[in-house]
Amino acid sequence: MTKFSRKKLIVAAAPLAAAGPLARIALAEPPQRSATHEGHEHTVTGHAAMIGEDAPSIERNAAVDALLTPPRALPHSPGRLREYELVARDVDIEVAKGVTYPAWTYNGTAPGPVIRATEDDLLRVRFRNDGSHPHTIHFHGIHPAHMDGVFEVVPPGGDFVYEFPARPWGMHLYHCHATPLKKHIHKGLYGAFIIDPPKPRKPAQELVMVMNGFDTDGDGGNNFYAVNGPAFYYARYPIRVSRAQTVRIYIANLTEFDLINSFHLHGDFFRYHRTGRDEVVEYTDTVMLAQGERGIIEIDFANTGRFMFHAHQSEFAELGWMGFFDVVE
Amino acid sequence: MTTAARTEPRGGGWRLWAFVPLLLLVAVVALFATTGSSVTDLLGRTPPAADEFDIRRVEFERGEIRIRVTNPQPEDLTIAAVTVDDAIVPFTVDGSDTLSRLRSATIVVPYDWVEDEPILVGVTSSTGIETTEEIAAAVATPGPSVSGFLGYAAIGALVGIVPVALGLLWLPSLRRARPEWLAAFMALTAGLLTFLAFDALGEAFELQAALPSALGGAGLVLLGLALSYLTLTFISRRFSSEGAAATGLTLALLVAIGIGLHNFGEGLAIGTSFALGELALGTFLIVGFMIHNVTEGLGIATPAAEERRPVSWRWLVALVLIAGAPTIAGAWLGGYAANDWLGVLFFAAAAGAAFEVVVEVGRYLRDRAPGGLTSGWVLGGFLAGIAVMYATGLLAA
Repeated sequence: MTKFSRKKLIVAAAPLAAAGPLARIALAEPPQRSATHEGHEHTVTGHAAMIGEDAPSIERNAAVDALLTPPRALPHSPGRLREYELVARDVDIEVAKGVTYPAWTYNGTAPGPVIRATEDDLLRVRFRNDGSHPHTIHFHGIHPAHMDGVFEVVPPGGDFVYEFPARPWGMHLYHCHATPLKKHIHKGLYGAFIIDPPKPRKPAQELVMVMNGFDTDGDGGNNFYAVNGPAFYYARYPIRVSRAQTVRIYIANLTEFDLINSFHLHGDFFRYHRTGRDEVVEYTDTVMLAQGERGIIEIDFANTGRFMFHAHQSEFAELGWMGFFDVVE
Repeated sequence: MTTAARTEPRGGGWRLWAFVPLLLLVAVVALFATTGSSVTDLLGRTPPAADEFDIRRVEFERGEIRIRVTNPQPEDLTIAAVTVDDAIVPFTVDGSDTLSRLRSATIVVPYDWVEDEPILVGVTSSTGIETTEEIAAAVATPGPSVSGFLGYAAIGALVGIVPVALGLLWLPSLRRARPEWLAAFMALTAGLLTFLAFDALGEAFELQAALPSALGGAGLVLLGLALSYLTLTFISRRFSSEGAAATGLTLALLVAIGIGLHNFGEGLAIGTSFALGELALGTFLIVGFMIHNVTEGLGIATPAAEERRPVSWRWLVALVLIAGAPTIAGAWLGGYAANDWLGVLFFAAAAGAAFEVVVEVGRYLRDRAPGGLTSGWVLGGFLAGIAVMYATGLLAA
């Protein structure tokens, strides 16, 4: 843009120095600012413009949809084998409408698939690295040192089998622990890891939300935020739930760069079980999670209708971490 | 080669030979275009595209922000997301979201912006690269209204036409001045124009540095400079007799053209800065411009005073319009469609014109001034022209 340089202003105003009287006349009349504020026409730019087809998100994606619902919980049966297969792959994924990101994924999505077991199951996760960099899987929970995904780095083309009894019950997570750690996590190598208690939880509509962000231009800050991948996905496709039954959300924070993330529900309160256990339970509508922190949210909706949920960090919400529950009878 | 030895080839065949290198070039280019990647592959992978946009202009209207973007990259670039103050906002693009090289588009964002507060707009490409532009204070951009149009015209007339016309009123006094004093004033004009030329050149270089590399460069400045310098040289040779220096009205006309070009750039700068809220166009500044440009009128009056024939009113009006009216045109262009590229070209052209006129004045002084170019009147006048501009600049700082 053609800027008016300071120097040019000085040059232009120079003759004033030689024209004192005129300048004084000029200065006696300072530039007038319009005192009356013109009627400002406020356009509709609120959240009404950010729901359904108007929300800027990607087209409906079956792989993303699959991440919302966890596998079914199984009754307690010590020693039962639970097998999963995870393949690390470099995939270009659409993280916001029209924006592709060269992600590193478990099974093609970021976050990866939900891994679920009941306490005392024998968990066996076959891991193959089809990516271009060395990776691992580091599970949170109690397990032997050589199953921790720290020392046994799997090179490209290699594989590894993680096998250990699932415990303790609660809400956990898994992620790659190869270095540089920050890079390997924010590129997409993470997911939810649920261990069900021996005594089954009461029936509920179960959902999984893994908070994440994507730094698409590599400046060390996230350009987009969401749960389960693409920005504004649940704003464009609200999550339909029934008022008659408890909504149980397994939530984990795997956002990189930002120290904390949060979950805020509109129009209702929920019980928050820290780390998915019963030792710390809170009745609230907003919960804060540090990096790696997770828990279980249980909502008994009092009303039907559309209720927003989002990070209470407004910036995260406006960069994609926002959605709606469509509560029906 | 035997053909090379021939001094006079038969027929017009030698003309056809001129096309041979061109045809071969086309062939080589075609060959490289089809197999080129295998050549560059020898060097290893080429780095990924920068994928940054060039945000040219951000305009504010009630409930709306308009962002003009250009693709300075060799590859196509797609607008995928738009942010305002780090929030994703809905937007529409006039035309296609995908811009090929050097294509522009306007992004329209419905947004309830806050007056006078800083605002950060960002445009993200489909590859996730975000280009941001910070606006120091959001101010409504004057739209194309009749009153705005007239307003720019009035400002242009105030800072362009009025002072030049006032300066020309020195003509009767100058006609009675002694030749030494006239020579001194001519030299003062040359000094003033030299100062303006350097000023415009500095402006042109500063602007080109901000342009995308594909559009900018010192070459663009040289193009504008050479274009105006050589055009004015051509004009001056047409108006004056063979070999002689331009004199009288011819020289006055050249000075008026040079000043007109400079004033066009000045109008462009005023219009753009005002439209984009970078300039508070107060009384103080307009008065400053008026006084500044009175000296330009003096610059035109001095050679005209030397004209032996009586100078008709028509000539005077024409001189005033040539020198002053471009300010109005520049203000309009700057106010509604400013463009850095044009800015560079016009500031460079202003510098070229000013330099050419300095040369013309020099030739005139060499031929006509009592004592020639090296007389104390001429040297003193020239130095005074520069020194006065510089010193007053210091005083105003």
